[in-house]
Amino acid sequence: MSFVSYAMILAGGLGSRLCLLSEKRAKPAVPFGGKYRIIDFTLSNCVNSGIFDIGILTQYRPLSLRDHIGIGRPWDLDRKRGGVELLQPFQAWDETDWYRGTADAVLQNWHRVTEREAEHVLVLSGDHVYRMDYRPMIEAHLTRGADATVGVTEVPREQANQFGVVETDDEGWIRGFLEKPANPPSGRISMGIYVFRTAALLAALKAESGRDSAHDFGKNILPAMVEQGRVLAFSEKRYWQDIGTLDSYYQANLDLVRPDPPFPLEDPHWPIYTPSSEYPPARIGMRGRVQSTIVNEGTIVNGTVIRSVLFPGAVVEEGAQVRDSIIMDGCWIGRGAQLDRVILDKRVHVGRGARVGYGEDFRPNRDCPEHLSSGITIIGKETRIREGVAIGRNCRVAPDLVEEDFPGVEMPSGEVLEREAPAER
Amino acid sequence: MSVIPPILTLVLAGGRSDALHALGRVRTASALPYGGKYRVIDFTLSNCMHSGLTQIGILTQYAPLSLHSHIGIGRAWDMDRREGGLRLLQPYVRQRETNWYRGTADALVQNWNVIQDAQARHILVLSGDLIYKMDYGDLIRHHEEKNAALTIVTAPAPATERQRYGYVTVEAGDRVGTLQEKPERPGGGTVSAAIYVFRARELMARLQRPDLGPDIVRDVIQAMIRDGERVFAYPVRGYWRDIGTIDSYYESTMDLVQPVPPLNLYDPDWLIYTPAEDRSPAVLGAGADVTMSLISHGARVEGTVRNSVLFSGVHVGRGAVVENSIVMQDTRIHSGAHVRSAIVDKNVVIGAGAQLGDGSGAPNVEFPRDLGAGLCVVGKGSEIPEGARVGRNTLIEIGVKAADFPGTEIPAGAVLRPRVWTGT
Repeated sequence: MSFVSYAMILAGGLGSRLCLLSEKRAKPAVPFGGKYRIIDFTLSNCVNSGIFDIGILTQYRPLSLRDHIGIGRPWDLDRKRGGVELLQPFQAWDETDWYRGTADAVLQNWHRVTEREAEHVLVLSGDHVYRMDYRPMIEAHLTRGADATVGVTEVPREQANQFGVVETDDEGWIRGFLEKPANPPSGRISMGIYVFRTAALLAALKAESGRDSAHDFGKNILPAMVEQGRVLAFSEKRYWQDIGTLDSYYQANLDLVRPDPPFPLEDPHWPIYTPSSEYPPARIGMRGRVQSTIVNEGTIVNGTVIRSVLFPGAVVEEGAQVRDSIIMDGCWIGRGAQLDRVILDKRVHVGRGARVGYGEDFRPNRDCPEHLSSGITIIGKETRIREGVAIGRNCRVAPDLVEEDFPGVEMPSGEVLEREAPAER
Repeated sequence: MSVIPPILTLVLAGGRSDALHALGRVRTASALPYGGKYRVIDFTLSNCMHSGLTQIGILTQYAPLSLHSHIGIGRAWDMDRREGGLRLLQPYVRQRETNWYRGTADALVQNWNVIQDAQARHILVLSGDLIYKMDYGDLIRHHEEKNAALTIVTAPAPATERQRYGYVTVEAGDRVGTLQEKPERPGGGTVSAAIYVFRARELMARLQRPDLGPDIVRDVIQAMIRDGERVFAYPVRGYWRDIGTIDSYYESTMDLVQPVPPLNLYDPDWLIYTPAEDRSPAVLGAGADVTMSLISHGARVEGTVRNSVLFSGVHVGRGAVVENSIVMQDTRIHSGAHVRSAIVDKNVVIGAGAQLGDGSGAPNVEFPRDLGAGLCVVGKGSEIPEGARVGRNTLIEIGVKAADFPGTEIPAGAVLRPRVWTGT
């Protein structure tokens, strides 16, 4: 069997619906599940599927992702042949530009495909949480002689308008591809996982390289290839979660601490790899009470933590209470503080007795009601929350604030706290 | 990082620790799992790393495989270097006169070429089986200031198992008067911490003597003191423990789960490094009741855990209770089982409802000295059958299977061995 040995992972998107979390990092670099970044799932799927030659297409704020991936060591991708490289837009002699879309990103890096003389390429997304062996899909692609094969899963029909909806015939060939339709005919959607015959992909990319194209796989490339008639659907039944919105991010994390998690992180046959922290084991103190919670190395808990995800180095002091929350690396939660449905980005410092996510007022956020209305309050990286302050629900607090930036003792639900003159960095 | 003259560091990690019984049979004491994610030698290697020492030889002999795979190329300690770095020194066959290391001094003699090639000004000789944090730069500076031929690091004499140590008398100006190894009637308040710095010239001269005996303490160090060479003492600051026995290993681990541990593993300026394992985070379930314990990644707790250290991948089932215990990698404690005051090695299965560490405290019938304080030791890969009751001071050897149990009641102080030797 001729095999597919090169994968391109799309990791350049803005991810504006993830609010503060993706303000300073690309979406695939958003921390997830206590110790991972979202891209770890796709990268680990690649290496567990025997694919060790990977290009990651980055554009928006790639530094965090670059630091995370490094030379690819945790995934065994520091290799003499193959390995992982980050493909950031660059200036060349002739006409060059930023990536105009996912398809353009692949086309601009086409030399990477040519060099490998790869007959087929895998194109993946860096912002999905799932486990998948790509080999059966590749095998179906090859044996059926498809131009393209699309990984397909089912979501509730009312959610399908967020995705590319596929219609297939009896033999599994895709006959219709609708990107984010207003009225989805079904819940069968594209997972954004593709295997392409190289020549067919190049033809489609070139055909869609004009000014009027959106240069997007879902909007342009797939519909055009479906017209040609040889695009196969490959059904995947296992857990798959697109981390598109703050709500889906929150829910996917909290799903991990359910009694029977739909996606257990522990699976010795399909490990998810990530760079390890160098902390000692988690320490639960004399007055610690931790239930239905993910804990990581370097966390120290002396308070109560229920249904939450604690990243490495998070400290919960005595008498503090954390419920239904996501607490990222190096956060410190002071004595007697209370957190409910809160996402703390890295190294947030919650002063003693502060209450975050409090009260019964669930009014949506005034700036972004469409993303922040389910009661989650989010605090940006390295902000220091003043002692005793009360912050309501659906609130957004900017990163890097200090105690003095909090105007009063109370911040009502739905409010936004920014620095006086936001510095563009 | 401290600035120090050219130093060769030799870590002695080849010893066989009979007093550790099942824990020490499959591995040398330096490779003993410690503190939820470490091996004992990680402390020495991390100290080297933080002290800026980069030329390190690790002398191994007894059951070194576990240690070798742990250390690898030394990446965890940044010791995979173009120049220097870390080497494992196992005895090897020569054209003339091949032998195992007959003792610590003989191990150095057999590695004469390593010592010679290093062209070091001082040679630091360390033990891989000690738990402590120490900046060797300070030690070496003290050694140079005293213009010493040898500096012996000293520690306050431990209160228990006093006959295991070497007692040092320190005279005016930190000069060492005597060193008495493992005396029958231990006296004095200062012991040797088994950490030595030699001026290379003097050590090499000793090693070249044709009448040299095999032991570094008796045949090199005590000889140097006796001959009036400049031997000085340097007191260790803070926590220092030798974990060569079951009780001392247990007590040192339990120090980590005191409300204020005497050994701080969380100091960001002096972290202890160890090779990372790719495990998922720990999950404490809805029924978890965990207090005063260390929990490592990949652990899954549905029951009660108190004053205990759980290594990676340990599962504690619903209604199970783990108290005052050390549970090593990937051991499964099934629902309703009770584990009290036990050291449970890797890959052990404790069946549902089994009770470990129950009842009276009669000392072990075969090893009353090593197993008399009430601890149960369960060797690697053993199985405790469902509903079994195992008394205190019992030793369940490596690879004991459920079928090896003579009944469900194992009285205090018993020793259980596998009927079929499993080759470990």
